[in-house]
Amino acid sequence: MTDAAAPPRLSPHLPPTRPPATVTATGPGLSQRLTSPALLLLPAVLFLAVIYLMPLVDLTRISFTGPSWSAHFERVFATPLYFDSLVRTMQIAFTVACLCAVLGYPTALLIHRSRGSVQMLVAVAVILPYFIAILIRTYAWMVLLGRNGPINKLLGTLGLIDSPLALLFNRGSVLLGMTAVLLPIMVLSIYASVARLDQSLTRAALASGAGPLAVFWRVLLPLTFPGIGAGFLLVFVAALGFFITPTLLGGPGDQMFAMHITQQADSVTGEGFLQALAVVLLVITLVTVGIAGRLIGFEFIWGGGKLDEMARRPKARAARRSRRGPGTLLADALGWPLLRLMGPLLASAGLWTVRIMGGLVVATLMVPIIVVMVISFSKASYLTFPPPGWSLRWYEKFFSDSNWMDAFWNSLGIAALSALIAVTLGATAAMGIVRSRIRCKSALMLLLVSPMIVPPVVLGLSLYSLFLQLGLVGTHLGLAAAHAVGGIPIVVVIVAASLQAVDRRQEQGAAVHGAAPLTVFRLVTLPAIAPGLAAAVFFAFLHSFDELVLSLFLSSPRMKTLPLMLWADVNYQLNPVLAVVSTLEVLLVVGGIILCRPVLTRGQAH
Amino acid sequence: MAQILARRDMGAEAPRETVTAAAGGREVIGAGIEIREITKKYGAFLAADRISLDIEPGEFITLLGPSGSGKTTLLNLIAGFHRIDGGQILVDGKPVQHVPTHRRGFGMVFQSYALFPNMTVAQNVGFPMRMAGMDRATTDRRVAETLDMMRLSEHAGKSPAQMSGGQQQRVAIARAIVMRPRVVLMDEPLSALDRRLRESIQIELRDLHQALGSTILFVTHDQSEALTMSDRIAVMDAGHIVQVGRPTEIYRQPQSRFVAGFVGESNLIEAEVVARREGALTLKMPGGQIFEAEARAIVPGRIATVLVRPERIALHEAAQPGTMPATVTSALFLGEVLRIEVALEDGQTLLVRCTDTAARSLPRIGTRVHVGWGAADCWVLA
Repeated sequence: MTDAAAPPRLSPHLPPTRPPATVTATGPGLSQRLTSPALLLLPAVLFLAVIYLMPLVDLTRISFTGPSWSAHFERVFATPLYFDSLVRTMQIAFTVACLCAVLGYPTALLIHRSRGSVQMLVAVAVILPYFIAILIRTYAWMVLLGRNGPINKLLGTLGLIDSPLALLFNRGSVLLGMTAVLLPIMVLSIYASVARLDQSLTRAALASGAGPLAVFWRVLLPLTFPGIGAGFLLVFVAALGFFITPTLLGGPGDQMFAMHITQQADSVTGEGFLQALAVVLLVITLVTVGIAGRLIGFEFIWGGGKLDEMARRPKARAARRSRRGPGTLLADALGWPLLRLMGPLLASAGLWTVRIMGGLVVATLMVPIIVVMVISFSKASYLTFPPPGWSLRWYEKFFSDSNWMDAFWNSLGIAALSALIAVTLGATAAMGIVRSRIRCKSALMLLLVSPMIVPPVVLGLSLYSLFLQLGLVGTHLGLAAAHAVGGIPIVVVIVAASLQAVDRRQEQGAAVHGAAPLTVFRLVTLPAIAPGLAAAVFFAFLHSFDELVLSLFLSSPRMKTLPLMLWADVNYQLNPVLAVVSTLEVLLVVGGIILCRPVLTRGQAH
Repeated sequence: MAQILARRDMGAEAPRETVTAAAGGREVIGAGIEIREITKKYGAFLAADRISLDIEPGEFITLLGPSGSGKTTLLNLIAGFHRIDGGQILVDGKPVQHVPTHRRGFGMVFQSYALFPNMTVAQNVGFPMRMAGMDRATTDRRVAETLDMMRLSEHAGKSPAQMSGGQQQRVAIARAIVMRPRVVLMDEPLSALDRRLRESIQIELRDLHQALGSTILFVTHDQSEALTMSDRIAVMDAGHIVQVGRPTEIYRQPQSRFVAGFVGESNLIEAEVVARREGALTLKMPGGQIFEAEARAIVPGRIATVLVRPERIALHEAAQPGTMPATVTSALFLGEVLRIEVALEDGQTLLVRCTDTAARSLPRIGTRVHVGWGAADCWVLA
């Protein structure tokens, strides 16, 4: 009764934020752009249409050429080699996603619950590997698991084994390596949903008599389930198209689907069939994402930042959730009795599970990197741990070898150019997405971030034929543009998030007091998003600097990037120069993270 | 329960006398809580500094204080969310400081409602029952009963997100009382609600307390809420309890300038003691005006601080025995009362509140008036 009597809350009715038209005052081009923010989307959309959508469409077209339209696809599914590999790929991706979920949850909880320096340490241990190239992290696992690696050495010293174990090149090492490489994605996704929870919810459950286990099962797990789901999908989709880690860590029986595509690309035979392989992988990926997007919303791709257009959705979902779904029934029938059996366990058991599992995960993420950094100072000319002596000879070799230095400067130039393209196009597009009021906003956002989920192997293959026609293969500009396709989503996500955090009333305040639209942007908006822009520049740069798969397709023997040099060396001779490059990359990332820390901590506070 | 419901149906306008009379023979299920010298440190910051407080079984006690005074910390310590660094908490004579929260058997209401968004209203309310291992039939019956009590029956199947703030908070209250706990903790449960809703739930809570007989420990920074609802109020400041007493005591006989200033509006007059008699003082204001004040406490020094509440000051148009001349400096019409500021001849300003009557019109600024008060209207701060 009283609720109805409550006076309706007055909300200030804000007009659509459109600066007053000043067509006569300034040039028409400038004011036009400012009056319709949607136009800001144009450059990025055009760029992606030409360098991303068109090649993919062309790829699909070629895959249908043949004796009959489905001839190549029939061959893919009829040849046991490819079909088995497809099944294997799905199995591996699913297993990896499950492993990541099981290991990632305690780690996310550990970050959330610890305080001070412990929290800092765990967070860095997760975030640092996230930004280090997959190639380098895989290389670190090769070092760790190698015949002369620390694990075999340790077991030998303890007298547990007589001869070194073959830890590498089997299904186990593939799963371990891929899980370790993809785990940070899962942890960050779960952490985001745990951190968003109102802390008084767990307190309310405790005060209602729920023990720690019941709090976890009844409150924490159901409420963070979207985060787990998002992480699971991101890991699964990334694992589907994985190429580097299974190539380096797998044996002959662990061929994943993406590896067939690169092998076929090397042998020139299969025009059409090659494209069909790529299309199969692309379609599986897109279907997975499409189904997931229908179920949990496409926001999972860019980490839950909802657009205002979609704000109405959660209500409908809340209504749907209120019915007792099969999940709840299952939880009641199975989980709850199980949980009650565990009741007599010590209250601190859960706490220790989190600490021990989280600690193990942190160790798994950090140990390979540390081992590689140590080995870079080794005196030995082969990989062995602990190093027999110390020297800087491998650093000298790296800095004096003109091949390495050429590759380094190539990478630096390409990454700088790529970051420039990605940030220019991505930031304007983010502005257009956040500030415009067009109808198909979510579709456009989906287009802008979709390069994140397209398997790089497929993208590389499709770009190759376009770049051949344009004469861009093996050029700085070509590689920079290709890398920018993957850089734009990163920039759009970061800049859109910082734009959404800008207080519109400050802008309106500046406008009311006489600032012209450009002045408002310069004095209010730009300073507010500057940290986000800086982070975007850094991550776009890093994305290009680390990029290997596209470069494999698009470079020429005369122009090599650092990851390409690494790739060649990892495949032919595992020497400590690789460790030197890895160490330098770690230092680069650490430096970048320190520079970007204000942004990262601000993101956490929200 | 029928009796409770009948009374509730009379609505929020039910006069307080009826409520108190009906609750005369109520059964007390609440536990007594003894807080003995408990201390909580966050680094070097003392959030609670050797706090002691005795709470009677079945009492409605309010922790009142400005933000940062330690009232929520104290509540969280009693709830068991944080470990105490020293001291003891006894519930019905048994120490509970090492008992984990979920075994303390309390109910709790949070400012943010803290309803589980993944459960329906009925599931939320039934949560403590299920946690206690009650069978489904008992749970369903008790949930229905409690929802009925809070007039939420028709919302049982809804999700909390579909309800208004006031409804959500009533669900949270239902969840806190469904087990009929001996102690219910409430952390600023009404501060997220608008004023009308707040006032109606205040009365509802008060009734509920009478009906349940649980001990309720209520935290608020709103002094009028504390005065309205509590059996006793504990005023907190900077990690200490500075005064505990019935609402009338807290309001009429504050023990410090802080309590006098925090609870209600006040005129604090510094005056020189010119004569002392048994139970009374004769005081001289800086401007030379003489007045009498009742005083129970011994005033040690020559200067006494005297509290005169604004509604105790009478405003006259003409001089009368014992009044002082003054000039109106501000006059506000607040509805049922007028809030008038006057300046005495020596410049001392006084705040006066008087009810709006047909006989009195709002004085203009600059009007000459005379103010006065009786000896019994003064409270001399020790």
